Amino acid sequence: MHFVTGGAFNGKSRWVRNFYQLENVPCQWVSAYKGETVTGFHKNGLVVMEGIEVWIRDWLKESGDNEVRTRWQNHLRDWLDWEKEDIHREIILIGTDITKGIVPMEAEDRKWRDITGWAYQDTAVLSDRVDLIWYGISRKIK
Amino acid sequence: MAEGSLIFISGGVRSGKSSFAEKVAADLAKQTGGNLHYIAAGKAYDSEMEARIQRHKEDRRKSGMSWITWEQPARLAELSEFFGENDIILFDCLTTLLNNELFLAEDLWRKQDFQEKVSSGILQAIAEIHQRCKAIIIVSNEVLNELIGGNKLVFTYGEMLGRLHQKIVEVANQAYLVEAGIPVQMKGEPA
Repeated sequence: MHFVTGGAFNGKSRWVRNFYQLENVPCQWVSAYKGETVTGFHKNGLVVMEGIEVWIRDWLKESGDNEVRTRWQNHLRDWLDWEKEDIHREIILIGTDITKGIVPMEAEDRKWRDITGWAYQDTAVLSDRVDLIWYGISRKIK
Repeated sequence: MAEGSLIFISGGVRSGKSSFAEKVAADLAKQTGGNLHYIAAGKAYDSEMEARIQRHKEDRRKSGMSWITWEQPARLAELSEFFGENDIILFDCLTTLLNNELFLAEDLWRKQDFQEKVSSGILQAIAEIHQRCKAIIIVSNEVLNELIGGNKLVFTYGEMLGRLHQKIVEVANQAYLVEAGIPVQMKGEPA
């Protein structure tokens, strides 16, 4: 599992496309920004999921903080299990960093920001590789 | 003709990015013997801003180098003819310029073609100055690591700023992220 993070509009998706040469390599791209959710994976190969923070926000509308975090952790475990079944499988998770601003006025936004930060920590722990993208430049931090 | 260098410097508020940029500019000017130009995009519209501008002016005066200061809140390209081939240009800062250009007229920012015109105008101005002088140093801010939320205006501004940063870093010879006064080099050979 490969986690890619960085600020908004920093070129994270473009970096992933280049890094994995997705012009030539088939991949399943699931975008939370387009309202997509993960329902199941294709047989083998690369799966890119972008917009983790959006899923977290949506889940928080239906359940509490702890449930959401547990739900994310369970997903991560399931995905890792799936990945391990075949050497050609790889999961790439892209999440926008929303955690460095001034404390938001709205309690909902504070909660969203907190859970997203924790979800990213959980993701980083379980990933073999983590890259931070800064305006198209990557820095491997794990 | 050997193209001059383009250096991008970004950081949070009070990260020391302007001081670092001034030092880089002054060091380069010592090497080339060219003039040092400071382009300020900020307008003093209140006393706090006025004090901030004064502090920056004072810092530059203390540096012992003589700076030629330009106040240019918009239309950066208009200045390019004033620079010579050995000159060093410090532009502070991109976030303010984009703000000034984008919100020049009430509601124009909503129009996609206007957004594109603003972005390409800024990039072109930078390219023009870059071609004419020894070095251009562009200072900007880290503002994209926080909740952007549902506000269309903030979203548009963030998207444009992020894209501009990506394009500038792509052509930059060096790019730095300044954290707590420490410049972290993200691109280019160590100076």
